[in-house]
Amino acid sequence: MSKKQVSLFNDYTKGVWDQNPVFKQVLGMCPALAVTVSAMNGIAMALATTFVLVFSSFIISLIRKLIPSQVRIASYIVVIATFVTIVDLVMRAQFPELSKELGPYIPLIVVNCLILGRQEAFSSKNNPFRSVLDALGMGTGFLIALASLGAIRELFGSRSILGVQLLPDAFEPWLIMILPAGAFLTLGLMMGGLNAMILRRKRREEADILSKHIPKTYVAASEGQEV
Amino acid sequence: MELILIFVSAALVNNFVLAYFLGICPFIGVSNKLSSAFPMGLATTFVMVLTAIVTWLIYHLVLVPYNVEYLQYVSFILVVASLVQFVEMVIKKVSQPLYRALGIFLPLITTNCAILGLALFIVLKEYSFVEGIFYGVGAGAGFTLAISLMAGIREELELADVPAAFRGAPITLIVAGLLALAFMGFAGMITV
Amino acid sequence: MKTIIAMLVTLTIIGVVSGGGLAMISGWAAPLIAANKKAATERAIFLVQPEAKQYEAVAEVPYELYRVLDEGGQPTGYSFPWEGNGFQGNIRMMIGLTPDLATITAIEVLEQVETPGLGTMILEDPFRGQFNGLKTEPQVDWVKGAPPTKENEVQTITGATISSKAIVDIVNDGLARLRTDLAQGGDK
Repeated sequence: MSKKQVSLFNDYTKGVWDQNPVFKQVLGMCPALAVTVSAMNGIAMALATTFVLVFSSFIISLIRKLIPSQVRIASYIVVIATFVTIVDLVMRAQFPELSKELGPYIPLIVVNCLILGRQEAFSSKNNPFRSVLDALGMGTGFLIALASLGAIRELFGSRSILGVQLLPDAFEPWLIMILPAGAFLTLGLMMGGLNAMILRRKRREEADILSKHIPKTYVAASEGQEV
Repeated sequence: MELILIFVSAALVNNFVLAYFLGICPFIGVSNKLSSAFPMGLATTFVMVLTAIVTWLIYHLVLVPYNVEYLQYVSFILVVASLVQFVEMVIKKVSQPLYRALGIFLPLITTNCAILGLALFIVLKEYSFVEGIFYGVGAGAGFTLAISLMAGIREELELADVPAAFRGAPITLIVAGLLALAFMGFAGMITV
Repeated sequence: MKTIIAMLVTLTIIGVVSGGGLAMISGWAAPLIAANKKAATERAIFLVQPEAKQYEAVAEVPYELYRVLDEGGQPTGYSFPWEGNGFQGNIRMMIGLTPDLATITAIEVLEQVETPGLGTMILEDPFRGQFNGLKTEPQVDWVKGAPPTKENEVQTITGATISSKAIVDIVNDGLARLRTDLAQGGDK
């Protein structure tokens, strides 16, 4: 791949993992916690958010040079709110059941800090093509986070994933998983677990480097990483 | 009586943060010190009450009569954003100490989903004007309570030996989960 | 001055484009949304009146009330949505009754926010099924911890007594209202 391709590829992939909106940036927590009682709800919410994010990023990047900087936030939220209304109307018209399930959390996509954050940090400074790649990447990262959180909560809370029963009837569902408290606890444990994995890998890499260079230099192992 | 029930319900039973997951961003971001969490709660409450008033008027005097309910989200978020800007200007003019205490939090409030959530819930629950105001005060009080409790706990956590992987957001979420469990005790206390 | 004009012009243009676009999409979506709502109500009406084939709205009362009919157009009962307070919030349900209002055909909970796994058992059959053919005279009663002995009693769910009682209360409340309104001769 050429250098340019690499950087475009990076526009997409950084949101998927390195800057994952939920696990790394701790953004968009409202919907991540509220609707993830099942994997399906998580996926639907993430897709709706991605739709809004991609189209808002595209439009805002397109008109970025025409907007006076004093009114940029106001302009961004009008654009975002417009696309959210579109999603809401389409869902109520075509998928009434899902729309009822996600309830008022669809309109709350407007204030998902992830979306406004990407406009301010990326779309307002980059061309439409790159902005859409960035938005798709962030959307994918959001999807991974919501789907996995939803799947875990659904598995232990109602024995199934995507409605397919995976645990035997003898397994007594853990009610707490579908209660609000379960959302906080599961996400907290997931983030902690991921951090622990990253820390461990980092330590191992550092140990490798150290074992090659010791005793030439002594390098203090750096403590944990900022998240 | 009905009004007091609405207040208590919004503040405790259906706490915006711990039961509806609204306002999680500031709840996690600004809850490390009690001295900043409490003013943040107050500023949010203030904007919530104003939002409840203005969005109710807009919805019932403009959007419904002219049959343009589909402009609800766009107009509500604009109201919230301009209200925050307006409050910031007024506070700056009126009281410098208050501005210094609250100023930095105000811009954050625009993207606090609890504010827009409040406006949407008032429409959804078909509250009257006065009920809406009480709901706003209750929701604000609930938010202030949750974020202050959290800040108090986190100040203690600073001194605790938390595993490195869990420092920051993970342990905050786990504490929030325990708080949510505690708040479940309020469920069924009253019914609204 | 120039920036202020630029600001106003930008916001106005964005606002007009947004409003216009939304008006178009809303024009397409509104009839579909209305149709969805109607279909959901219809489904609930027949769910609590399994024998019924058609329905008609009763216009004499100031709330939603549907008279259900058999194939020949003979009235076989009523379906009506009613709501009240549950354990954690509003419960909205559809209630099916025989024409003399003396027996419940079935109930169906439409909206609720009860505790998952406990309060939500009101949605499921061991509890909900008790209402099929339940007598309503003089009112519906509940018993706790033992099977019902009378024709107008249901047993509350262990661990969800308040939710169970709430359902009984809503049924009684709706029934009382319906009895008064229909007795006043608003309906044949």
